[in-house]
Amino acid sequence: MKNLFNTYRVLATIVGVLLAFCALVAAPLKYLATEDSSLQRFGESASILWVAHGWVFMIYVVVAFLLARRARWTIAFTVLMLVAGLIPLLIFWVERRVTHKVRAENPELVGPTAA
Amino acid sequence: MLAPRFWAAHLLALVLVGVAVGLGFWQLGAWQEHRRLEARDLTQAAPLPLDDVIGPDDPFPGNRIGQPVTVAGTWVGSGTVYVSGREHQGHQGYWVVTPLAVGSADGAALPVVRGWVADPADAPDPPSGTAELQAWLQPPEGTGQPDDDPADDVLPQLRIADVIQHVDQDLYGAYGVAETPGPGLEAASLEQLPQVDALTGLRNLLYAIEWWFFGAFALFIWWRWVTEDPDATAAPGSAGQRADEPSGVGP
Repeated sequence: MKNLFNTYRVLATIVGVLLAFCALVAAPLKYLATEDSSLQRFGESASILWVAHGWVFMIYVVVAFLLARRARWTIAFTVLMLVAGLIPLLIFWVERRVTHKVRAENPELVGPTAA
Repeated sequence: MLAPRFWAAHLLALVLVGVAVGLGFWQLGAWQEHRRLEARDLTQAAPLPLDDVIGPDDPFPGNRIGQPVTVAGTWVGSGTVYVSGREHQGHQGYWVVTPLAVGSADGAALPVVRGWVADPADAPDPPSGTAELQAWLQPPEGTGQPDDDPADDVLPQLRIADVIQHVDQDLYGAYGVAETPGPGLEAASLEQLPQVDALTGLRNLLYAIEWWFFGAFALFIWWRWVTEDPDATAAPGSAGQRADEPSGVGP
């Protein structure tokens, strides 16, 4: 059970980094850089990471949901956790909130490695 | 659960599931379309009259790359250009391109790759008069490579916007590669055949699966919420005290 919390944190970081890169680096380059310049082509090929984001996000959704159930958080906070994987940078803040919340309210979920 | 105050939530669940399923089918359709196009090599197809495939002002029909067309018209010899960086049997050389005015002599012209030469200086004089020929239709190139000397008749790529500087009439949004090379020229080969990136197609399939997963997940959440104690959602503050955690949730 302690693993769930750690898994959540790892997945949140991966989703956050992938999303930030795709949305804030790859996509602007792909669509805004000069057509067919090397930067634009880099953005285009880097956009394949959207697929990676999508699939990691699927796992993240399940893990986040299980964690939210386990910690008995409200629907609103659960939805915030899930949606955070779709809005660039939001997930880093949410991950901190979650970590604080778990430590304060559900210390039994915190594994020794996460302390 | 049937109380009117819950209807919005039911509706939301319905919309989410519907949207996810719909988007999934949309991606699946895109994937199948990619596969269909990928399987298409038109170069051996029966030739069609140019007019049946593309009009002078039409965008290039994406499903007609490599289509053999028959075209009759008048050579615009003065519009002949050489496209650099073309390989022929391991040698770098040039495509020799002469626009062919379709129909009347001042009608819209289709740039025709007549053949290949190692050096534009060796190219025979541009043709004149009328001609009827068969060519493979190709979409114009556009790699964004700048023409380092717009004044000469050597182009780095076959871009309509560059070729049009050399003629007085409109051009088609396409070019043809003559199936038989003009006299004194080597045959030019097709540059572009339909090669749909396998990854692009696969990406759509992966997205389709993702969407359906999220649809199923939304359905699952909705089902959990319906089958659960409604007080938990009505009074979120008390959620922490609930002891009736249903089993079967955790791993």
